[in-house]
Amino acid sequence: MLNKRRFAIVSSIGISALLTGCATNAPQDTWQPKGPNSKLIDDLQQPVFAVAGVIGLIVAVAVTYTIIKYRDRGQPIPEQIHGKPALEITLTIIPALILAVVAVFTFGAIFKLAKTDDTEMIINVTGQQWWWEYDYPVQNEYGITQPIITSGQLVMPVGTKVLLRETSRDVIHSYWIPALNGKRDAVPGRVHTLRLEADEPGIYAGQCTEFCGLSHANMRMEAVALSKEDFAKWVANQQAPYVSPAAGTLAKQGEEVFLNQCVRCHQVNGLTRADGTPAIAAPDENVWSGAAPNLSYFMTRNTFAGAMFDLLSKQCRDEVWNAPSDKIGAKYLEGVTEDCLNQKDLRAWLRNAPEVKPMYANPENLAVSNGKYRGMPYLALSEDDISKLVAYLITLK
Amino acid sequence: MAIIERPTPVAPVVVTPTETYGLLKRPVSSTGWRSWVFTVDHKKLGIMYAVTAMFFFIVGGIEALLIRLQLAAPNGKVLNADLYNQMFTMHATTMVFLFVMPMAAGFANYFVPLQIGARDVAFPRLNAFGFWALLFGGIFLNLAWFLGGAADGGWFMYAPNSGPVFSPSNGVDFWALGLQIAGIASLTGAINLIITVLNMRAPGMSLMKMPIFTWMITVVQFLLLFAVPVITVALFLLSFQRNFGARFFDVAAGADPLLWQHLFWIFGHPEVYILILPSFGIISEVLPVFSRKPLFGYPFVVFSGAAIGFVGWGVWAHHMFASGLGPVSVAVFSVATMAIAVPTGVKIINWTLTMWGGKLWFTTAMKFAIGLIVLFTVGGLSGVTHSIAPSDTQQTDTYYIVAHFHYVLFGGAVLGIFSGFYYWWPKVFGKMLNEKLGSWNFWLMIIGLNLTFGPMHILGLQGQPRRMYQWTEARAGEGFFNLAFWNLVASIGSFILTIGILFFLINVWVTSRNPQKAPLDPWNARSLEWMTSNPPKEHNFDVIPTVHHLDEFFHRKYEEDEATHTMKQITTAEELIAEQERNADKHIHMPSPSYWPIVLAFGLPVITFGLIYSYLIAVVGGVIVLFAAYGWSLESSTAPESDFENPNSSTELVKHG
Amino acid sequence: MAETAHGHVGSTGISNVKLGMWAFLGSECLLFGGLISTYMLYRGRVTGGPRPSQIFDIPFTSVSSFVLLMSSLTMVLAVSAAHKDDDRKTNLWLTVTALLGATFVGGQVYEFTAFYKEGLGFSTSLFGSSFYTLTGFHGVHVTVGIIMLMSLVGILKRSSVPGKKAEVVEMVGLYWHFVDIVWIIIFTLVYLIPV
Repeated sequence: MLNKRRFAIVSSIGISALLTGCATNAPQDTWQPKGPNSKLIDDLQQPVFAVAGVIGLIVAVAVTYTIIKYRDRGQPIPEQIHGKPALEITLTIIPALILAVVAVFTFGAIFKLAKTDDTEMIINVTGQQWWWEYDYPVQNEYGITQPIITSGQLVMPVGTKVLLRETSRDVIHSYWIPALNGKRDAVPGRVHTLRLEADEPGIYAGQCTEFCGLSHANMRMEAVALSKEDFAKWVANQQAPYVSPAAGTLAKQGEEVFLNQCVRCHQVNGLTRADGTPAIAAPDENVWSGAAPNLSYFMTRNTFAGAMFDLLSKQCRDEVWNAPSDKIGAKYLEGVTEDCLNQKDLRAWLRNAPEVKPMYANPENLAVSNGKYRGMPYLALSEDDISKLVAYLITLK
Repeated sequence: MAIIERPTPVAPVVVTPTETYGLLKRPVSSTGWRSWVFTVDHKKLGIMYAVTAMFFFIVGGIEALLIRLQLAAPNGKVLNADLYNQMFTMHATTMVFLFVMPMAAGFANYFVPLQIGARDVAFPRLNAFGFWALLFGGIFLNLAWFLGGAADGGWFMYAPNSGPVFSPSNGVDFWALGLQIAGIASLTGAINLIITVLNMRAPGMSLMKMPIFTWMITVVQFLLLFAVPVITVALFLLSFQRNFGARFFDVAAGADPLLWQHLFWIFGHPEVYILILPSFGIISEVLPVFSRKPLFGYPFVVFSGAAIGFVGWGVWAHHMFASGLGPVSVAVFSVATMAIAVPTGVKIINWTLTMWGGKLWFTTAMKFAIGLIVLFTVGGLSGVTHSIAPSDTQQTDTYYIVAHFHYVLFGGAVLGIFSGFYYWWPKVFGKMLNEKLGSWNFWLMIIGLNLTFGPMHILGLQGQPRRMYQWTEARAGEGFFNLAFWNLVASIGSFILTIGILFFLINVWVTSRNPQKAPLDPWNARSLEWMTSNPPKEHNFDVIPTVHHLDEFFHRKYEEDEATHTMKQITTAEELIAEQERNADKHIHMPSPSYWPIVLAFGLPVITFGLIYSYLIAVVGGVIVLFAAYGWSLESSTAPESDFENPNSSTELVKHG
Repeated sequence: MAETAHGHVGSTGISNVKLGMWAFLGSECLLFGGLISTYMLYRGRVTGGPRPSQIFDIPFTSVSSFVLLMSSLTMVLAVSAAHKDDDRKTNLWLTVTALLGATFVGGQVYEFTAFYKEGLGFSTSLFGSSFYTLTGFHGVHVTVGIIMLMSLVGILKRSSVPGKKAEVVEMVGLYWHFVDIVWIIIFTLVYLIPV
């Protein structure tokens, strides 16, 4: 039949247009699953997309055919038919049956995705305006003998069923790494769980997807999946003792600036004051959410400021992201070297953070929050101090 | 004028009150601005609703254009983060509460009484109050732009981000209180229309002979009746927290932020049907008229509309699949959401089958109606893909959702509204909109809306979240068709869409300058609103018709040929209406204009303004409201004849009974 | 025909005003439903403030609840008098109803003051916020009812009530009974069922 052929042609054109019409390698593509959870979702949704597409096409073709066939060609006004109940009941039952089938599979997927009893590793994830904190509770089987607190990048072993326990310290955020699973809201006062598992080493991009105020657009995340051996190395490094820079270096002066300014909010594990007492950060006195990123081993991460900026220069970043799966771990564990540091953005951030990322950090407008900041304030650091700080920060590996 | 006597001159007659009744003299002039401001005529109020809605449509449209300008390229600099957040919040709020809802209210006000053969609504003054409350509420909402910034929490205003610490400007206060006022307007409108439909149908018009538009409007009014109080509670909790220190969403006190989400979406999902069903009603009128056939499966369309209305209450949590509900709730709401797709599908099938076997006439109204069938189907099908809860966790809060609901609301609600414009324009204004300009209007809107919202499917599925004031190239992917390309296409599309809408405004202007009058029955229509003059007289019908059929007007004009079952004309609209004029009712009482609705409505924003700035002002507002309520309750809905000094002294006056 | 809101009896056989009040009360059910749900969710969350059982004075509230219930009875008498066109008795019973309502509201004001003195402020805890909001909303409804009753008395005295008197009295009666029924639910859920 001519119509059948036309239908086939139209549908194939439509499908190919759709496939070529998409970006390649979009980091947050929901149709490129990289782990069992996201694959489960994808396997469920692809047939639905296909069926929906076909139904849409049928409706479009039926309407087109009708309006061509029954256009006014001078025919008399037709008999006033009020309907054919049998036909309508049939046409009601068919979509209901299709949906019933879909519902059965949906049920299965919902409960599989909610399973938590096969968890192999737990990471606590806490959202606040506008960054994520990752807290690895002690898990001796992975060499985590003391809690690891980090931010910006979630580091996890491949082939391991990781359970995120999410919450928030201020407003609702939502954790979403499209390649690994759907999203789950981080709600203050509640703990929600989300399963993540990556099949292969790699970096998987994500974005906060619950509107969370001024800098919602700048609250990003990256999940770094490492081979089990590389993950063990990463864990070991995150628990290494703190090494203060050598006396007389620029970095040592930077440590002093850090102790004077930054440590009010930012913790560096093992850092001590000149008198030998441990320097303990007190973000709860200055920040509404009560937390600021822990900067221990800062240069093992590739991003800062809620993953809004890269710590790596463009070229070095591309080297990590584009590394083949078996090389990516080694590349990542190199951390940020002096040559690779993205000086421009880091210095701009230290110079005036609220200027490069919208935040509630103007002291004049903080009456409602008892003078507490939401985000990092302007610190009026001199260029000299900034250079010292950068020199110090680069030692935090 | 208040009392219409037969025979009276057709020219407007100014009657002036001579005596007071209640507190003030009645504002009975029937010309000039007073005849609009103090009117209780459902037709004038309908027009006022529509004009107000159109104004806010333009406001919301400008907000949308600014959003698309900002997102046309990565790291947009047109708006800063703060302004962008206000922009998308107010765009949605304006389009939902100040454009689609009042526009539907306008259509409902004008046509429901005409379609059921009534001379007015059940509570004319309440009707006027509803309009003024909506207008003042809308203005109040937008005042925030000039008083420290508009609301910035998104139209869904999730707690705790809406709290005083996280949203310190007065924007959210204006938003919450402005919506309360608009809510009062919706509630009074709902009560009014429900009672009108239940109580004031013409003799013989059983519920199953009611025009489908009236049916859909009735379902919507029931939805409003029960949905508005829920958002009222939510908004009170929010206002009490922001203004009086209540703890409702204070997590430190143990509050559960999901309470807001539940309350909001218990209102919010029925709200979706409140927005779409009036347009379903409109095209269910338009398609039969231009197909020359009755609506296929009228009872199915009625019951599916009612079913959507019922099931619409059981699906709210599908907005919360990522919120962390347990798997059991998610599964239940997932299935309920799939279930609601069925009655919606029934409508699509019935509309297509209405055209099947017809004699189709492609007027602009018809084109918009057909456009709705196809584009709403796209939105409906993408809706089905996120009724699959796991799939929704990938799609929710991305541009895929934005694409979905714009196909539903623009491809559905707005196309239906435009179909209604073209279809009913000659009825309301006595002139035909230009069909050629209409064609430009239609095609540019269709192209524009597909270019704007079509690419958003791709943007969302490839991972671009909503509500971001900037997007970054780092997440845009590679290739020519990367997300940057589609963002640009969407922005270009929005300007084509705008040009399409401008064609409508041009058409209105051109038509208004065209002296040619519309014929009495330009479309060979089917329902009662066409069985009177264009525009209708103040009292709608000279004779209240007795109804024997669904599509009563059509069946008075046509009868079936015994042999061929085709229809042949037996009389014309002109003859039918001339006959009505000959037998016109002698004594028709119409409700009189009143000051009180506008005064009472004006008191509301004064109160809310006072709640934000100074309780003293709120007290003044309260006094205005009480004063107006007192005046209102002392006033009879019809001014007694002693109030009037009729210039036509030969006319015999009739006792009010 | 369609000209007047008051007293018009339409297709349903019920007058517009009465049917309108029924619709409004349907809407009110959802309003109180939302408020009651909020209270039920939050009643146990006291954050250091007094618990419900520590401050509720059940005998006192039972008495004031009884007073409110009695006002429904007097309202019925007022409606029945209105149907008999007995203006004097209608006025009498309307006044008594309003007085009973006022007694209830007075009791509520006393109760609020007592609770506040015992440490339960509006901002003290979620329990405080939701308790005062729920019962406050009901109190405002009763107060509006009293104003309607008193206005009705005033209007009846001027004998200038628009439309049919009995219809209007009956409409106010519907509202009054509704407010009473809501109180029965609130009293049971808030005061009688332990947290």
